[in-house]
Amino acid sequence: MIDLGNLSEMELDVLNELGNMGVGHAATSLSQLFDKEVDIAVPNIKVVEIKNINGELISDVVAGVIISLDSLEDDKSGYLYTMLPEKSSRKIAASLLGMEEVDEEMYASTIMEIGNILASSFCDALAEFMDITLLPSPPSFAVDIPTSIIDSVVSQMAKSSEHIIIFGTSLQTDSDIEVYLTLLPEQGLLEHIVRIVGQL
Amino acid sequence: MNIDVLFISNKIGKAIFFTQRDVIVKSFCSLSRTCSVSDRCQSCAMTEEAKSYLINRTSNSNIETLDRELSVGIGELKIGKRALLEAYGLGSCIGVVLFDRSTGISGIAHILLPGASQNGETKYAETAIEKMLEDMIKQGARKSKIVSKFAGGANVFKQINLEILKIGSRNAISVEETLKQKKIPILAKDVGGEVGRSVMFNPLDGSMIVKYTKGGLLWL
Repeated sequence: MIDLGNLSEMELDVLNELGNMGVGHAATSLSQLFDKEVDIAVPNIKVVEIKNINGELISDVVAGVIISLDSLEDDKSGYLYTMLPEKSSRKIAASLLGMEEVDEEMYASTIMEIGNILASSFCDALAEFMDITLLPSPPSFAVDIPTSIIDSVVSQMAKSSEHIIIFGTSLQTDSDIEVYLTLLPEQGLLEHIVRIVGQL
Repeated sequence: MNIDVLFISNKIGKAIFFTQRDVIVKSFCSLSRTCSVSDRCQSCAMTEEAKSYLINRTSNSNIETLDRELSVGIGELKIGKRALLEAYGLGSCIGVVLFDRSTGISGIAHILLPGASQNGETKYAETAIEKMLEDMIKQGARKSKIVSKFAGGANVFKQINLEILKIGSRNAISVEETLKQKKIPILAKDVGGEVGRSVMFNPLDGSMIVKYTKGGLLWL
C-alpha cells in the first residue's frame, strides 16, 4: 500500500502531468460543445489530509457530478468530480438548450451530461497514457456545497488512508462559465502510476 | 481578526452574534423563520441589545460570551468548555455532540463512516463516540449527566448511480445505535433529507443550530 503522505516529487509530477492531459482533453470537449475558446488554469496537485478537505474546495453551492472510473482488472480506480458553480451551470443549461427558463429536470440532465462529457474525455486521456481500459460509471448528480457532495466518496477513500490526492483545475470561457475538475485517484490507480514512473 | 462570540437569550428569542472589533459581522437567530429581515439582522430588540453591550460593555444578564470557536475537520473530534463547537459541510457525514450540562464540558465529532475502527480512528461512528466520551470524562465530565444531539447523514444526490454514495443513512443508524448502546440520551436529531448541513453547538444553553447549505436554520 502506498502512503500518500510520502509520494515523491517525481511521482507527484507524473500524476500532475496525467491530470494535465486529462484536463486538456476535457477542455477540448467543452470548447467544441460551446464553440468557444476555453482557458485552462494552471492545474495543481495536492496531497490533502482528509480532515482539512473543507479548506481545499470552493465554498459556493455547485452543481456537482461524480463519476467513478473502473479499470477492468482492479477495483475502483478513482473518481472524477466535476463542479460547476450554480451561476455557471445555469448559464450552460440555458445556452445549450437555447432558452432562459429551464425546468429542473432538464437542468439536472443537461448538467449531468456535461459532467459526463468532461469526465469521459478526461478518462480517455488517462487510459490512453497508461495503456489500460478505464470505464466511466454513469454520473451521479447533486446541487450543494462541494464538501457535502464529496464526503461520501471521501468516506470510501478514508477506509484506507488519512490523505487523499486532489488534482484540481478550472476551465473558463469568455462568457464567464467556470468549471472545476478534480480527480481523486484510489490506491490501485496510484500504484499503477508509481509503477509507470519506475519504468521511466 | 479576533472574532468574539456573543450569546443573547431574552424574552423574544435566542441569538448568536459573531463580532469583530465590536461590530456584528454574522448572526444566527432563533427567530429566523418568522423574522422579516432574513440573513443579516438589521435591527430588532436582540440586535439592539447586542450593540449596546458592545458599546458600553456593561454587564447584562441576558448576554454571555463564548470563549472561542472550535471547528472540527472531517473525521476529527474536539472537546471544549464554553466554546462554540462547529462542523461544516456535512453531506453524508454526521455531526455528533455530547455535552454535560453540569460541568459545561462538551464535544463534537465529524463522523465519516459507520461502525468501529480497528485502530482507534475517530472517523468511524462507534470509535468516535467512545473516544469522545472517554476524553470528556477524563476532563471532568460526569457520565450520568451526558446527553447528545446529532445532525447530518443526508443523501444530497438527485441522481445516484453509485451504491457507495448512499452512506448517509448508514452513518445515522450507526450513530444512533452507538448512543443507545452507551445509554446516552438523544435529546434531538436532524438526519437524512437531501440537503447538506453545517452545525454549531452552543454549550451555554445546549442548543444545536443546524444551518442548511441552501438556506434555512433549525434550532434543536
